[in-house]
Amino acid sequence: MKTKYIFSTGEIKRKDNSIAFKNHKGWNYIPIENVREIYFLNEVSFNSKFLDFIARAGIVLHFFNYYGYYSGSFYPKEHLVSGNLTIKQALAFEKRRLEFARNIVKVIAFNIYEVLYHYYRHDKKELKPYLEYLKKVPVYLEKAQKIEKILFVEGSIWNEFYDSFKYFLPSDFILNKRVKRPPNNPINALISFGNSLLYTKTITAIYHTHLNQTISFLHSPQEARFSLSLDLSEAFKPIIVFRTIFDLVNRKKLQVTKHFEKKLNYALLNEEGKKIFITAFEERINEKFMHKSLNRMVSFQTAIKLDGYKLIKAIINDTEFMPFLIKEKR
Amino acid sequence: MKKDYNFNYVFLMYDIADEESESGKNRVSKVFKICKKYLSHHQKSVFRGEITPSKLLKLQKELEKVIDKELDFISIIKLKNKSSFLETTLGNKDNDLFL
Repeated sequence: MKTKYIFSTGEIKRKDNSIAFKNHKGWNYIPIENVREIYFLNEVSFNSKFLDFIARAGIVLHFFNYYGYYSGSFYPKEHLVSGNLTIKQALAFEKRRLEFARNIVKVIAFNIYEVLYHYYRHDKKELKPYLEYLKKVPVYLEKAQKIEKILFVEGSIWNEFYDSFKYFLPSDFILNKRVKRPPNNPINALISFGNSLLYTKTITAIYHTHLNQTISFLHSPQEARFSLSLDLSEAFKPIIVFRTIFDLVNRKKLQVTKHFEKKLNYALLNEEGKKIFITAFEERINEKFMHKSLNRMVSFQTAIKLDGYKLIKAIINDTEFMPFLIKEKR
Repeated sequence: MKKDYNFNYVFLMYDIADEESESGKNRVSKVFKICKKYLSHHQKSVFRGEITPSKLLKLQKELEKVIDKELDFISIIKLKNKSSFLETTLGNKDNDLFL
């Protein structure tokens, strides 16, 4: 199942029970049975007939604005709904929020450790204190008895991680401070764009499970977002988003002067930069590995959905929920 | 190749007798429309792309209903995945991840 990215302006519509997209080059046909989600990164016009058709096929549409900022999704009518699970999910939020949140943060620390360890092994010995800090995270988490404390630990993990960039990234990509909405320099732009891509991928994955998108555990569910998606994407950020960024930046596939908008102080990827990033991102998220317990090849994309299933299992059977560990790969 | 693989990538090519028979012209567009739902158009009468085994069966069923078995001919080459063959292309075709 494929993902399509629409970069050119045009018109999209239903034609002969399939999708037809018209741009300056002419008609393009997208096979409806073989597409799971479409990303709109430019102005495209369509009508409700098209939306109805898309909804019936269960395809999710994601929209991004001119600055590459995620503006929303067209989310077809829920076809997998379970009142039973929704009730249990809400109860789990009341009773087991701390436990779930702690495990999510634990997994973030662990996956970041694996990412940094790669550089440590390749002669970046300065990373040692960061690795030691990450090893101690479970201890800090045991001490944290309130959700605010857990969120604080999460925040400091990310800060330490961003701080460590200076040892293995080229100097024009060093991160002084994480700035969002809008990002203010190339690396912030890459992180924001990558995170929002992963966030939308997770929304699509959760759409194909019975989970309720709004009841989350680490992030507070009061926000007007699909916050469960933020929770589940957290474990995958280091291994999908950041590995893609490091790879592209260190191999000089993305360069500040070539692939960012000069006008905006290099704080925005230009079209070519976006294409390079998305190609690498897609490659990584579709990469397959041998899953230990399933004993078959699984892509990271599927691993996100499997995390959803894991969560359902934990909620219904009252068992432990442990998000995706990069260790499961081997 | 052995039969018990899961085939996830196909090449489909059709020859519809559109000059030999009166109704052939209709069948060409019908076959084209069905293929378009599942695969991406590669060359005039060639489609290709990723497909799941169950969807491949659906596609075959749909095609069987439309074609004239005496005159038309459709061949489907099944492959395990995208990386199980090497492709050399001459000339230019757009990357189909982006539109």
